[in-house]
Amino acid sequence: MWTGDIMFANAYELIVYILNFIGIYEPINNIFKMLGIEYVLRIIIVFVEIAILLVFALLTIMFLTWMERKVVAMVQARYGPMVTGPRGLLQPVMDGIKLIGKEDIIPAKADRWIFTLAPFLIFIPALLIFIPIPFGESLIISDLNVGLLYIIAISAVSPIAILLAGWASNNKYSLMGAIRAVAQDISYTIPLALSAIAIVLFTGSLSTVEIVSAQSETWFGFIPKWFIFLQPLGFLLFLIASIAEMGRIPFDFQESEQELVAGFFTEYSGMKFAMFFLAEYAHLFSVSAIVVTLFLGGWSFPFLTVLPAALVPIVSLGIFLIKTYAVIFFAMWLRDTVPRVRIDQLMNLGWKIMIPLALLNLLATGFLLTVGVF
Amino acid sequence: MAWINKNWTMFGIVKGLIVTMKHIIRIGNRPTVTVQYPYQKMKVWPRFRGLHAVDENACIGCGICEVSCPNGTIQIVKYKTKWYPQVNIGMCLFCGLCVDACPMNAMKMTGNYELADYTRESLVYGPDRLLFNKEVKQ
Repeated sequence: MWTGDIMFANAYELIVYILNFIGIYEPINNIFKMLGIEYVLRIIIVFVEIAILLVFALLTIMFLTWMERKVVAMVQARYGPMVTGPRGLLQPVMDGIKLIGKEDIIPAKADRWIFTLAPFLIFIPALLIFIPIPFGESLIISDLNVGLLYIIAISAVSPIAILLAGWASNNKYSLMGAIRAVAQDISYTIPLALSAIAIVLFTGSLSTVEIVSAQSETWFGFIPKWFIFLQPLGFLLFLIASIAEMGRIPFDFQESEQELVAGFFTEYSGMKFAMFFLAEYAHLFSVSAIVVTLFLGGWSFPFLTVLPAALVPIVSLGIFLIKTYAVIFFAMWLRDTVPRVRIDQLMNLGWKIMIPLALLNLLATGFLLTVGVF
Repeated sequence: MAWINKNWTMFGIVKGLIVTMKHIIRIGNRPTVTVQYPYQKMKVWPRFRGLHAVDENACIGCGICEVSCPNGTIQIVKYKTKWYPQVNIGMCLFCGLCVDACPMNAMKMTGNYELADYTRESLVYGPDRLLFNKEVKQ
């Protein structure tokens, strides 16, 4: 039976424990010890876990491109991709092959170095966000004690990459899209961070693992103590702000197709375009994972303690993925439902409604916590 | 302060979400009607104007179809000791005037619409590809 305590601080210790359990850790460690390079073994294990994370993230991103098309098709009474593989499941693979085979065009008047740099600058932070996210009990690459700050800081890099891409393309549509994207990102990072700070007031820690373990308790034994029940306004603000940060349809000014051809990646083709495309879905996945971690209890669920301890990491990973896919489905569902708002409506909503509400939410939370209601 | 008079409750979004959810979980009569084209084909109606067909026994090679064609699509060529029309499908606009003009009712149009091809030459349908024999078929 699982006691309810966290068993390992991160995935590294879990891997070492599993290797010990099989009985091959000691012999391997002794070989490295004889050579005097113990740190090499540690580096190898870290590389392995990062490789697992990257493969998992990329597979999820490919699956999400398929899922997006299928959900749109269901809403519009169509089938969506059906030919490649069962129900079109291999469509992302074919798209990838097609994009690799395409010509990599750089416009003649473009700033070549920045034009090439921008896709990498947007793709790598999108994958780096996954490092402090707890995918399950002890399934975390690194439990940073400033995890939430790290997430907000890394996601603030993407506007720079978008601006670089828009500027280097030397195209009016690209520059216009980039300017819009940056304005939108800057205005929506503030309510995002403010509603995340209200969570930190409860936990007293920026570590994502502690935020999740603060939500693993229950009221009356069965109602989970998730922050969505304590912070409904904060949840709503965080969700809207994160959808705006992703640049998905109610707020997709960075690539509004009817006005700007494709926004900041108008001039990109081939593999560089694919990197922008993948980064968009990596953002969708990471933002949904962050929403789940902060407000929906992460991997925790009321009756996890009835399970044997060995099963807890796998079951909690499943719970985390179910919750994350629910949030992703909501984002796709919203995308198929609402049209794009106007740019002035976007700015009004951000600066005049959401920031005052986020500050009010923070004030009320602090007041109630000081008085001792929660 | 015009923005403050607007409806910021946004209840319309919830209504729209309910409508799309009804489509996703198929509440009510909301079937998927897409035809998966290369594998499934739509039914072609009898009066559909597709590729021409010429009755080998009825055709007298008079050339009225050649004259009636607005685009100059049809040419009369010799084939097996008799004269028959040859249709360049790349120029044809499928108006059906040749079918109306034929005095022997030898020309008709079939439901074959998959006429895309690789070369211009292969778009010219000679008598060898157009002819059919009514007696043999029935």
